[in-house]
Order: sequence, then structure tokens, then C-alpha cells
Amino acid sequence: MEQKNIRKYKLFGAWNDDKEEAWLSGMARQGLHLHSLGFPGIYNFTAGEPREDVYRLDFITDRKDYQNYLQLFKDAGWEHMGEMGGWQYFRTRKQGNQVPEIYTDNASKAQKYTRLLTFLLVFLPIYVMMVTRQGPGEGNLSEFYAAIKFIFSLFLIFYAYAIIRISRRIIQLKKK
Amino acid sequence: MENDLGWFKYLPLTEATGYILLALTQPLHGYGVMQKIEQLSEGTVTVGPGTLYGAFSTLEKDGLIVKVGEEERRKSYTLTIKGRSILQEHFRRMAILLGNAQLLQGD
Repeated sequence: MEQKNIRKYKLFGAWNDDKEEAWLSGMARQGLHLHSLGFPGIYNFTAGEPREDVYRLDFITDRKDYQNYLQLFKDAGWEHMGEMGGWQYFRTRKQGNQVPEIYTDNASKAQKYTRLLTFLLVFLPIYVMMVTRQGPGEGNLSEFYAAIKFIFSLFLIFYAYAIIRISRRIIQLKKK
Repeated sequence: MENDLGWFKYLPLTEATGYILLALTQPLHGYGVMQKIEQLSEGTVTVGPGTLYGAFSTLEKDGLIVKVGEEERRKSYTLTIKGRSILQEHFRRMAILLGNAQLLQGD
């Protein structure tokens, strides 16, 4: 059979990882199977037979143990498809009615989002600084500064929104 | 134990953590732990690799388990004395709970 490759561009919010997982599983049901990823939002698929696959995303920042981490997932039956900005993409086959999970309790799932939140909070002061700092005032550069400020303001709003959504998720998981 | 106060941080153990510690009364690597838990719990408890990986790093940092070897990118861990003591305390509490449950059934 001829291998057909299809590239898709799509952006998901950091709080929408479960939507992204569902989207990838939906693609697999249509016979489009993820084979690699690119930054940002590049998904490469191979066309084939439709399959019932389960996709799960993990988020890690600590790399010193990366090979052991990947080995553990592999042993447990999860194929590592690639990564995008700290997000790790895993795939496995659906087993009957059971949906395999990489996180099997809420406490550990909350830890995943806590890592994500910590990662986002590290960059927050940079955005705040870019938005609040004073430009040169008058002159040729003032418009340029205004444009930069505007772009960073948009980033800041997006960031704040992401932080709120992820915090709410952590609270919900801890409550259960 | 040098300080008993630290224990309350871990107790009660979650079902997954209890089983992870129980599995590590013998040295095992990650997938070995997953299989052992499946067997010990008679299939009632499954621990996913994300949960287990996080548990390993937390338990190691807290000194409840220790790395005893590494082969082909698989680290083996086993219980420390502290880990064993906490597991025993966990079981003592479970035994009390079970005793109460049996009393209730005897009614």
C-alpha cells in the first residue's frame, strides 16, 4: 500500500490537553495515524486503516531521567510519538472496553498540571515586565515599542487565562 | 525513628502508594512493580506509568524507597527502613479498619 503523509496545523491551549487527545484518537478512527510532531502545532499523519487508538499527553520539564521515563512508558505498552514544548505524546491500542490511562489516580494527575503551572509561572514576570516597562517616549522608536507592548499584552492575557484554567483543573482534581 | 511527626505527612497512604510500597519489599523496576501490583491486588488496582514515575521520584526524594540498580534504562528500587516502617503503620491501621468491618458483618 502506498504511504500517504498528511500534515495538519492546529493549536491547542495548554489547558486543553484532553481535547487534543480526543482529536488525535478521532483522526486514528478516520485512518490518520500520528507519526511525528513539530513545533508549534505541526502534526504529521500517515494514512492507513482506521484504528481505535488511545492518545495521552504528559508534561515534563525535568530531563535528567528522560530515558528511564520513556523506557517505563514503553514497558507499559505506550509508544512515544514525539514531543512538543515539554508535552510528551503517547499512544496505545484500546483493549476491549478498557481505556488504558497513564495517570490512574487524581493525585498524580494533579501533579502533572502542577508541573505545567509551575512552568508557565516562570515566564510570567517576563511578560509583565515587557508590558509595564517604559519605552523611549518620543521619537522613531516609540511606535515600535507600542507595537511590542501590544503583542506582549495579548500574550499576557492568554497566559493569565491559561493559568486560571489550569489552576481550576488542579483544584477540581484535588477535590475528588 | 528519628522523628515520628514526619509520618503523618504520608499517612494514610493512597491505595496506589500502599501497593507500590508493598511491591517494593523486594527490589523491582517500574514495569515489575506494575505487574506485581496487578497480581497482588487480584486485578483491582492498576497503576499507570505516569502515576508510577511520579510516585518513584516523590518516594525516593522522601527517603521511603532507594535505587538499588539500573539495567538497560530501567531503575530498580526497594524499600528503605523508613519506607518499611510507614508501610507497617499503614497495615496496622488497615487491620483496625478490617477488624471493625468484620465486627459489623458479625451483627
